[in-house]
Amino acid sequence: MFADAVIAMVSVLADPYLMALIFITTVGGVIIGALPGLGATTGAALLLPFTLTMAPVPAIAVMTTIYVSATFAGAITAILINTPGTPAAAATCLDGFPLAQRGEAGRALGIAVVASTIGGVFSVIVLAIAAPMLARVAYEFRPPEYFALTIFGLSMLASISEGGAIKNLIGGLFGVWLATIGSDAITGVERFMFGNYELYEGLNFIPVLVGMFALSELLVQSRSLNTVMERISMKAVKLPSMADYRKIWRTVLRSCGIGTFIGILPAEGATVASMIGYSEAKRWSRTPEEFGKGAVEGIAGAEAANNAATGGAMVPTLVLGIPGSGTTAVILVGLMVHGLRPGPHLFTEQIDKVYAIFGTMMVANLMFFALGLFAAKLFARVTLIPRAVLWPIVFAFSVVGSYSLAQSMMDVYIALIFGVIGYLFRRFGFALAPIAIGLILGEMVETNLQNSLKMFDGDWTMIFVQPLAAVFLALAILGISQPYIFAYFKRRKAGRMAEGGPE
Amino acid sequence: MTEPAAPDEPKGLGWGDYLVPVFIFAFCGVVIYVSTTFEEALPIIIGHSMQPRVFPIFVMIVIGLLNLVLIAQILSKPASRRDWEPYQTWASAVLLGVFYLIATYIDMMLALIIVMFTLCMVWGERRWWVAALVAVGTTAVIFFSFDLVLEVRFPRGLLTDPYYG
Repeated sequence: MFADAVIAMVSVLADPYLMALIFITTVGGVIIGALPGLGATTGAALLLPFTLTMAPVPAIAVMTTIYVSATFAGAITAILINTPGTPAAAATCLDGFPLAQRGEAGRALGIAVVASTIGGVFSVIVLAIAAPMLARVAYEFRPPEYFALTIFGLSMLASISEGGAIKNLIGGLFGVWLATIGSDAITGVERFMFGNYELYEGLNFIPVLVGMFALSELLVQSRSLNTVMERISMKAVKLPSMADYRKIWRTVLRSCGIGTFIGILPAEGATVASMIGYSEAKRWSRTPEEFGKGAVEGIAGAEAANNAATGGAMVPTLVLGIPGSGTTAVILVGLMVHGLRPGPHLFTEQIDKVYAIFGTMMVANLMFFALGLFAAKLFARVTLIPRAVLWPIVFAFSVVGSYSLAQSMMDVYIALIFGVIGYLFRRFGFALAPIAIGLILGEMVETNLQNSLKMFDGDWTMIFVQPLAAVFLALAILGISQPYIFAYFKRRKAGRMAEGGPE
Repeated sequence: MTEPAAPDEPKGLGWGDYLVPVFIFAFCGVVIYVSTTFEEALPIIIGHSMQPRVFPIFVMIVIGLLNLVLIAQILSKPASRRDWEPYQTWASAVLLGVFYLIATYIDMMLALIIVMFTLCMVWGERRWWVAALVAVGTTAVIFFSFDLVLEVRFPRGLLTDPYYG
């Protein structure tokens, strides 16, 4: 199976149309990632309508390439203007910008490019090995196991870095409720439609995602129009020296593992991965005092982890149909729009598409390595585009993109409404990714619960005695409580430190 | 989490934080009330499964319980005062509404041109001709690329009628 995946990856290289498409999308993805406020999720949501007329494989290539390249590109602005292009690059600012301020911006970017590429390639290899294996296990899942798994996925929202556990869970459940709008999948009873028959099949995901991510970001950006950014100039990107490699190789390997693992966990993604990758790099460093002042290990730790999370996050997305992150939630919608059915069946019925995903992700990782090395300076210039010009254009693409899916003005209204709703959520400290993930998981949760109840003649307690379902539900409880458990131990440790220094 | 979030993302209003749980409870109440008005499905269809109203009500009850924890969290922290939105944010939100009105009653492409131009100016672009170029140029590129390449047909209106004939 792995050999088949390798052959499929090589076949991507042999297709000039696909290679050209991946190249163009990588350039686009790097530009999107370098623009503060845009980023992989918004980029994927904006580009999704453009893929509608494409064949499935090129469309998937566009989506996955945007994901990979935009995740990397956040580092460019993190290092040069101390503003992460994507949230996943926030940890890169901590050491990238101080190193750039010392006149070593090229070195900082070189380390970011190398670490990101290694992280990305590592995670694609893990994806190619782990996903088919996991699919074989998941093939045996019945409705109770799926129900428990989706509950586990929702529970993991508690530990997303933004928002806070309770707000994330509320956001996730709001998304689940949104999924109930329209006719009930089993009975056909109309719910929350208020006589609007365009909602019969439920809310279209694309306008909701475009509104929540792109239009709400437009409103967020309007709050910071007068912010002045300090910009560091750079001559060229430098590849790391041997001394740098000696210093970072352990960190990169560790972050590859951390990032991939965090990515595989449902709902977790690159931001959490980069934060943990960074803090572990600091914890294991021989010179932790250099962190925050331009430590190369800090850049490598964060960047390897956030790109390793991209491949990891595709594992639950493809195998279980549970998004591994906000961006994979959009990709999941893209897959469904193009007739793919994420889940274990994907690996038996449409394996060629799965291999195409592996292949394009691998090629995209290698392509942004080249682009990052030779054109980072050029890409950094996109941050010079005035916001007063950029965001009206984003607005136009958002509304037209929302319209184009079903050629319905209703979808445009939905995007506008969710732009305002998304802004209000963010204004009051709620993250948007949980809503997107909840929206996508909502139907799975309800349908699998309904089918489980049918299986057990209405006895819901039977779900808890299915061994695998019980494990997932126990993990869900752990997922919800773990932020509090960690906070408790952190407070206890801080208390001990305050009393008499470290043990 | 790979999701867009500006580094200067607003974290919340001081007194506004107290309104959040109130709004959530009100929202849950409305949803539960509306859910109780749903048609009952025939037992032969649902078998031993649940009525269509049950799941949304269950979701709202869980949100309500989480909201109680949120209230406890909000009360345990002192409210911090936050600034109001600048006029550009209000104007941008209003422009979303203006777009809706013009797109619905006059023409979607005209709505794009007007809203993009106004957005540019409101956001600080001082050269009107740049704003006009961005608005008209982007709309033209979008219209022709979607119409000719992606074969998307836009709703008829003041500007599109002559083109579609």
